[in-house]
Amino acid sequence: MTEVVGLRDALIGQIDACAGGAVARAGIDGDAVDGVVPGVVAEPATPEAAAAVLGWASEHGRSVVVRGGGTKLGWGAPAGSIDVLLSTRGLGAVEAHRHGDLTATVQAGAVLADVNAALAVHRQWLPLDPPHAERATIGGIVAANDSGPRRQRHGAPRDLIIGMTLARADGVTAKSGGIVVKNVAGYDLARLLTGSFGCLGVILTATFKLAPAAEASRTVRVTLSEAGRIDRVAGALLAGGSTPTAVELAWPPAAVLVRFESAAAGAAALAEQAAALARDAGGAADVLAEADEAEAWRRHEARVFEGEGTIVKLVVLPSDLSATLAWLDEASRARSIECALAGRAGLGVLYLRLAGPVPAQASLVRALRERLDPGRGSAVIRQAEGELRSLVDVWGPLGDGFPLMRQVKRRFDPGRILNPGRGPGGL
Amino acid sequence: MPVNAQFLAELERVVGPDGLVRDEGELSTYESDGLVSHRSRPRAAVLPETAEQVQAVVRLCHRDRVPFVARGQGTGLSAGALPHPDGVLIVMTRMNRVLDVDIPNQRITVEPGIMNLEVTRRVAPDGYYYAPDPSSQVICSIGGNVAENSGGAHCLKYGFTVHHVVGVEAVLADGETVHLGGPALDSPGLDLLGVLVGSEGTLAVVTKVVLRLLRRPESVRTLLAAFDSTDGAGNAVSDVIAAGIIPAAIEMMDRTTIRAAEAAVSPGFPDAEAVLIVELDGPGPEVAAQFEQIEAICDRNRGWGVQVARDEDQRARIWRGRKAAFAAMGRVAPSYYVQDGVIPRSTLPEVLRRIRDLEKRSGLTIGNVFHAGDGNLHPLVCYDDAVEGQAELAEEVATEILSYCLDAGGSLTGEHGIGADKACHMPKMFDEADLATMRLLRLAFDPADICNPDKLLPTPRLCGEVPGPYRAHPAEAAGLAHRL
Ligand SMILES: Cc1cc2nc3c(=O)[nH]c(=O)nc-3n(C[C@H](O)[C@H](O)[C@H](O)COP(=O)(O)OP(=O)(O)OC[C@H]3O[C@@H](n4cnc5c(N)ncnc54)[C@H](O)[C@@H]3O)c2cc1C
Ligand SMILES: Cc1cc2nc3c(=O)[nH]c(=O)nc-3n(C[C@H](O)[C@H](O)[C@H](O)COP(=O)(O)OP(=O)(O)OC[C@H]3O[C@@H](n4cnc5c(N)ncnc54)[C@H](O)[C@@H]3O)c2cc1C
Repeated sequence: MTEVVGLRDALIGQIDACAGGAVARAGIDGDAVDGVVPGVVAEPATPEAAAAVLGWASEHGRSVVVRGGGTKLGWGAPAGSIDVLLSTRGLGAVEAHRHGDLTATVQAGAVLADVNAALAVHRQWLPLDPPHAERATIGGIVAANDSGPRRQRHGAPRDLIIGMTLARADGVTAKSGGIVVKNVAGYDLARLLTGSFGCLGVILTATFKLAPAAEASRTVRVTLSEAGRIDRVAGALLAGGSTPTAVELAWPPAAVLVRFESAAAGAAALAEQAAALARDAGGAADVLAEADEAEAWRRHEARVFEGEGTIVKLVVLPSDLSATLAWLDEASRARSIECALAGRAGLGVLYLRLAGPVPAQASLVRALRERLDPGRGSAVIRQAEGELRSLVDVWGPLGDGFPLMRQVKRRFDPGRILNPGRGPGGL
Repeated sequence: MPVNAQFLAELERVVGPDGLVRDEGELSTYESDGLVSHRSRPRAAVLPETAEQVQAVVRLCHRDRVPFVARGQGTGLSAGALPHPDGVLIVMTRMNRVLDVDIPNQRITVEPGIMNLEVTRRVAPDGYYYAPDPSSQVICSIGGNVAENSGGAHCLKYGFTVHHVVGVEAVLADGETVHLGGPALDSPGLDLLGVLVGSEGTLAVVTKVVLRLLRRPESVRTLLAAFDSTDGAGNAVSDVIAAGIIPAAIEMMDRTTIRAAEAAVSPGFPDAEAVLIVELDGPGPEVAAQFEQIEAICDRNRGWGVQVARDEDQRARIWRGRKAAFAAMGRVAPSYYVQDGVIPRSTLPEVLRRIRDLEKRSGLTIGNVFHAGDGNLHPLVCYDDAVEGQAELAEEVATEILSYCLDAGGSLTGEHGIGADKACHMPKMFDEADLATMRLLRLAFDPADICNPDKLLPTPRLCGEVPGPYRAHPAEAAGLAHRL
């Protein structure tokens, strides 16, 4: 025992020496990632020190798991042993807000809500609204390419990122892109790292294009007696020239939330117009503002994202929405599974919450995947207890591009020290 | 292994006699892209008609380590499609079919040789369009757009090619075919599609592309205003952004380019130091409200000669003036050199001042036309080939302008790409570690280095052994990290 402690203290000493300050400590139960307590936790306060920790780890062949807000470390494959947990909590600065250029450079450990509070001074924001914005970090959001309802208008992190500095597994720091919104010089490594779940490098800072904050917001809530009408309602709302910032589906019972954000008079007029369209398409619609609106959105997010349990990210073509809901209804009943769903009706990106016997959940995920051809949809387990993750692969098929992804991983992290096994397809 | 008679015979077996060009004279058609100062002749060119043929050609090249370069319509402005002298040029123009139109899901699947504008033509009757609109849209291919991550006047609001490509089929350097992305979003796995777009044909040959279509906006309004200085116009642009408005486009032209456009296509622009073209689109009421704000901003910044397009014809006339700007320079100078640097928009006045000083010092006329909303400059350095040394001077001047862009925190290129033209400038923007990291990606895709080699990244063959200015990383300088 004392030997183990002695060894660990030696490692801590080495890491501190490399990073040029006290950044490392012993891991404790509260640091557990997916039930695995890391040997050492390193929390560097500068990007340089973070890179140095990686340099040390690769030299000594130590595995590193990166943690931002730690809100979704239960995703991906179950963790093996973890030598070093690299926390980005010390990297929380908004390095630059160039409001005249509508861009900002932010360190990876900054929490999204804090970043947006800072940008609000100039009535701008980083237009991302993933779940748990008050805890999720920029690095974690970018590493997961996570987004929320406003993706309909503003896109996902991969659409907003214009530059990045990253630390490679070997500790070398590199940058890609820059601080200008239009730039095609060199390979776009920022996009490569976006959605890589920390398996190719550690994001140190990211630069984004921003959006002006909207003056006003209105939301139309449409409830439908039959889920089968979803396609028609969503289709009618999107085919009008109204450009909503979000078109969300919730089910069951079937409901659609449509958000308009613009100048005050504009948002209200557009919302009324959309409510009329929705009624014509066979729904009951009301227009929400202010506190009612905020509450409706809070409940919408909570519907899938609050609490433990299984969450599956389900992507289908928008034209398959109704058929998918009908299938889910039947398939979950047949397996005695409870299921709830929320997500982007206009984009076909949905989050599915499952509850019920684990083997039945596994069977449902497998059956769901059988319905989806590569490129035409996917079902990825984003959060689940270990038992489910051992019964069914979390990622599902990755298509004929997977060998190439493996080559990329091999080049960027030949020692496989970075988030080993936790990247897409177990990279 | 060199391209010999046997290799040519094997190529011919794949693409047929009609698909193989080996005659020296005929090959000269393919010597350069839109940047004619770079020329080189390939050993052979093939014109495949199917993805299977592309794959078979690449397999042959891979087997014998023969370099290959894909070519679309050859309108690129960075010598990206410059043939390799020992290699095969794969000309994609015969693969130009529309494979699937899926209006409910706003998708179209095309072969890469199709012209950009043709995509919009196919879906216009349904009320849809393909957003990226390079000025060359009638003459450039979607495959070229994918490779260059091309932009257009409307990318301020709608983004670049990368925001509109959702899937590709591509043949890798070893001849394997991969499918990245697809009609549905978020295919699980690394976003290799995100790096393939903009990789300038150096990672794979794209054989199929799935594009996102947009619904035509309900309302479009276009305004042109004249200013007595580019600073005045620049301030108006800043005020627009500060007001929280993202127009579909904001373009600026200076006196030189206004006059050239006027001489070429008579768009009826005022004779001013600068004009701004501002276009708004979206839902009717929103556009109407913002349009009033734009008019007030122009007014406040002493804009004059305001023209508001009353109908599609007038709008087309304004855009004709803007889109003709490059070609029109031929009216005022025998030759010109187009630069494509980008600056943070807020540094526009300072950078333009430096360009004007340079104009005085060099004695060469420099026209400026640019995407003012996103800081993408297109300085046009005019010169006369007949005057001894002027071509070289023009190139030096253009290079100097790039250094102003980099000083301001900008980029070497906003849409034309690095290609062979600017590969040797890359070390001015990226340090050795950055470039080495980019090389890791290339090695993952093409370890044999046969897919459009000598483009995008500096190589000794292209740039000599002179390494770029070496800058130590802060961690290194502080003694925290060591380069391997
Ligand atoms: C389907 C779904 C389910 C979700 N479930 C939950 C939930 O149950 N509870 C909850 O609180 N939130 C949940 N979220 C929200 C999620 O936590 C946030 O959206 C955010 O993406 C996580 O940021 P984080 O800082 O917490 O990242 P972390 O959870 O710390 O890390 C996320 C991933 O990114 C990597 N990473 C983090 N920082 C970096 C970096 N700087 N460089 C490289 N890689 C890095 C990590 O190694 C890990 O692979 C869910 C989101 C989705 C889409
Ligand atoms: C007058 C004029 C105006 C222009 N205006 C604009 C503008 O507004 N915005 C803008 O962005 N650009 C502009 N351009 C530049 C040019 O039109 C674009 O870069 C265009 O995308 C090139 O398309 P292309 O088919 O001609 O490609 P090419 O020039 O043939 O090739 C360009 C690159 O693409 C690669 N490539 C081509 N096809 C494939 C394929 N199938 N698979 C893999 N790689 C491939 C080539 O290897 C090469 O590296 C302009 C050019 C001209 C001449």
